[in-house]
Amino acid sequence: MRTWLTSLLVFSLCVAFAQAAELRPPAQVTAGTPFPIASNGTGEGTFYLIGPAQISKRKVNLGGEISVQGDEVEQAGMYTAILCADQCTSVHFYVRPAQTSRLSLLVHPSRVPVAASNAISAVAFVFDRFHNLVLTPQKVDFKVVPPGGAAISQSKTTANGTAWIRLTSARKGGPAKVGASIGDLAEMRVVQQVASDACNLRIKAVPGPKGIAVETEPVRDCSGNFVPDGTVVSFTKTDASGKTTVDAPIKRGVTQVEMAVSGPARISVASGVVNGNELSLGGAR
Amino acid sequence: MRKLAITILRRLILLLAAGLVIVCFSFLQSQIHAASEAPKVDLNPDNVGPRAIEELTSKTIARDYANSWKTMAEALDKNRVDLLDGYFTGFAKDKLTQLIAQQKQTGVRIRYDDRGHKLDALFYSPSGDAMQLRDRAQLGIEILDGGKVIHNEEANMQYLVLMTPGADRWLVRDLVTTPEVKP
Repeated sequence: MRTWLTSLLVFSLCVAFAQAAELRPPAQVTAGTPFPIASNGTGEGTFYLIGPAQISKRKVNLGGEISVQGDEVEQAGMYTAILCADQCTSVHFYVRPAQTSRLSLLVHPSRVPVAASNAISAVAFVFDRFHNLVLTPQKVDFKVVPPGGAAISQSKTTANGTAWIRLTSARKGGPAKVGASIGDLAEMRVVQQVASDACNLRIKAVPGPKGIAVETEPVRDCSGNFVPDGTVVSFTKTDASGKTTVDAPIKRGVTQVEMAVSGPARISVASGVVNGNELSLGGAR
Repeated sequence: MRKLAITILRRLILLLAAGLVIVCFSFLQSQIHAASEAPKVDLNPDNVGPRAIEELTSKTIARDYANSWKTMAEALDKNRVDLLDGYFTGFAKDKLTQLIAQQKQTGVRIRYDDRGHKLDALFYSPSGDAMQLRDRAQLGIEILDGGKVIHNEEANMQYLVLMTPGADRWLVRDLVTTPEVKP
């Protein structure tokens, strides 16, 4: 019986000493912050630290604390610490992002028609100084400064490091500033608000050297903004010789064309999806 | 009579050896084939916002994410940074490039045996230029120092993925492991 007990004791002691060295990382680790990992055991071993963008390998003395430098844990995510002596033992821990220090702002589109509902979108991504997405909810203040108007602000809380907003463009054309901020961090983008489709398109006709000169009134959108030069206006003439369409760009706010007519004629005008007035001409020229 | 028996025995042994060679060759081929195949990716687009995912985009995302894992596993296994060009960009590419550089420096290597991914689309930007997804991946992970395996595990990992559209495919812009959030 005594022999049996002695054997059991010796076996247990052997098992205890033969146990692999253990690692005990802290419960919470922040990106870029140095910290110790406690180990047990005696003698020398090889320590490995494997992270999302990091692999470290060094000899360490077992039983003490293994120092991990801040630059070894700059990336947030899961790390695997491995200690190899007679056997290898491993432990996982997560590194959480550091404090918010960068804001990335995507604003689309860069040009937008005025008074377009929910036409502008702004998406903010919140990062720490190591480019880790900050996953804890953060309050992002979005701000829009229309040309010559008062700024409009709205706050959104991030989910998984992302916050977004949709905006309706202002009624007045010109550059609008769209920004996002968290505390002192701010990012700003400019969206060019351009006139929308023409509105109340009207033409008048006067006798010209080669026929009838047809000219639009200054072409504006429904908010009173001048439709940009270069926008095409189509004139359609219907007379005894048939139907003819002439396209011409807006120059200095108006469009002008000259058309030969034979007999009574009708001339209409359109720009994009917008139709203007129609003229009826009675004589030939 | 004895001579005949010996001849038959010899032929049997030869036949068995040939069979063994064929079986081994088929097994190796299937392993190579499995290693070069993209992993299975299931995408759940039902809970995404503010923009809905179009059917074609849904298929493209699943295909490109599978290819990104395939190329990442190959790049890490073979220490080849050039393989990352196809499906990675931005921070994700930077991190993996750094990881491969450190693999070369230390002689440590990470090997993935990819068992598949379940993707949940979380966010699709209104203008369609960024998509955030949660991936629940089943992986076999092996870490080697030289030829010696120092860590081996079957893991259920959770990743937060940011993908952005490229010229003809979606690219992984950020890939971060996150702790599993219990429902």
